[in-house]
Amino acid sequence: MNLGDDLLTTLDQMVNEQFDSIEFKNFLAVPLTMERGRFYVVQNALYTSNRRDCWAYVQGGAPLEVKRVIWEHESDELINDPRCGMDHYALTVKQGEVIGLKPEDFENAEIPSMVRACFYAWHHIAMHNHWLTAYTASHMLERRNNGKIVKGGGMSFRVGKKFENELGINLKKMISLDVHVVADTEHSENISEMFERYVKSAEDRDLVLKGAQESMSIDRAYRGALGYYMEQIK
Amino acid sequence: MGAGINSTEAMWEELVRLCNAQFNTPPFRRLLGATFTEERAQQYSIQMAYYVQNRRDCWGYVQGSAPFEIKKLIWQHEEDELIGRKTEGKVDHMTLAIKEGEVFGLCADAFEHTARLEGGEVCFSAWIRLAQRSWLEAIAGSAILEMRNSGELIKGGSLSRRIAELFERDLGVPMKKQINNAEHVVMDVEHAHLLMQVASKYANTESARRAILRGAEESLMIDRVYRGHLADMLAALP
Repeated sequence: MNLGDDLLTTLDQMVNEQFDSIEFKNFLAVPLTMERGRFYVVQNALYTSNRRDCWAYVQGGAPLEVKRVIWEHESDELINDPRCGMDHYALTVKQGEVIGLKPEDFENAEIPSMVRACFYAWHHIAMHNHWLTAYTASHMLERRNNGKIVKGGGMSFRVGKKFENELGINLKKMISLDVHVVADTEHSENISEMFERYVKSAEDRDLVLKGAQESMSIDRAYRGALGYYMEQIK
Repeated sequence: MGAGINSTEAMWEELVRLCNAQFNTPPFRRLLGATFTEERAQQYSIQMAYYVQNRRDCWGYVQGSAPFEIKKLIWQHEEDELIGRKTEGKVDHMTLAIKEGEVFGLCADAFEHTARLEGGEVCFSAWIRLAQRSWLEAIAGSAILEMRNSGELIKGGSLSRRIAELFERDLGVPMKKQINNAEHVVMDVEHAHLLMQVASKYANTESARRAILRGAEESLMIDRVYRGHLADMLAALP
């Protein structure tokens, strides 16, 4: 095994371990009600917006070739994903209709305190670190959503299944979650290719691992926060 | 900064005035007063390719902080620069800079192996810092450089056009062979409108207009320092 293979194996292990963490377990164990489901879908739109912030920051710090890969990546997210015929924010808003949400519910949504802290933490990694660290931090959230890597399914798949099992809403109707089950698999594979090109030394590997560890830590805090806020909705 | 910027139109007029005033500053006069030899043109082209790369860094950071609909505008803006309008058979602007270099006897390697100008590197860092500030300051800081390069707004011609005219005068290279300069003469007219699109929706308070002016003024200040370093570099070459 070479440096790149070892690294990818470690990253795979890390995204799988996320689901064994207390924060993920608690979040995924909170029983869904329609109101909690609405809260989650609105929060997911805000999370998607934060991803757009971070990927653009990562693009800013990356080498030219990597900038181009990120620009292509953002085409689906920001402009139009051919899988669904719209950008991913619009997709989330449209998904909201299934559970009775209106566009203004998204526009007027407030970011809860603990969530805001996580968003700022992701901003910080994306803007103020070596590009390999920043890039990995954003990539890991898609890798954690890749059903080919995560045993038992990525986050979107698992949440989609909760909507299906607990609220009786078929995953196909949760169009944003459904698209992300596929989109994040493709995105994480395309983005992952860059590691093979740019990770050439132990120092490079450490920069990647730093981004992975820090982003996964924030991700656990974020999911823990969502679980907490959902439990407050009686 | 002028007092009483009480409308978007007044702010726009001030931005246009500031861009035109750049050309009367000592660094711009020195740069545009240079005589180009082939070696000077080569070094200038290479350093400008690094400038273009820095613009890509900065626009990325600006996109990160901007509201969603503005992110989309910037993403489209970056298509021209980073990818090229494939539907119109256009290449990205780095490729264009390297191709233009061939006219001055440069090969692609020269763009990879020539050191960045020290003063240029400092300016690039300053622009990145500006791009990481509040989004209105940041976007103004990047967009003003395209306004300064818009032939529609600058009396006497944009910077790209003026440099292209010097290359033609001193080296006999016609504008149509300066494919990078020629592209920017056209493209930056279009890109210069981006800030107006932003301002028409977001510059609706005195503080927003001041943020835009602050970002623009700081960027133009860095621009003057950068052009001064380029002028020094040219003066030191045969």
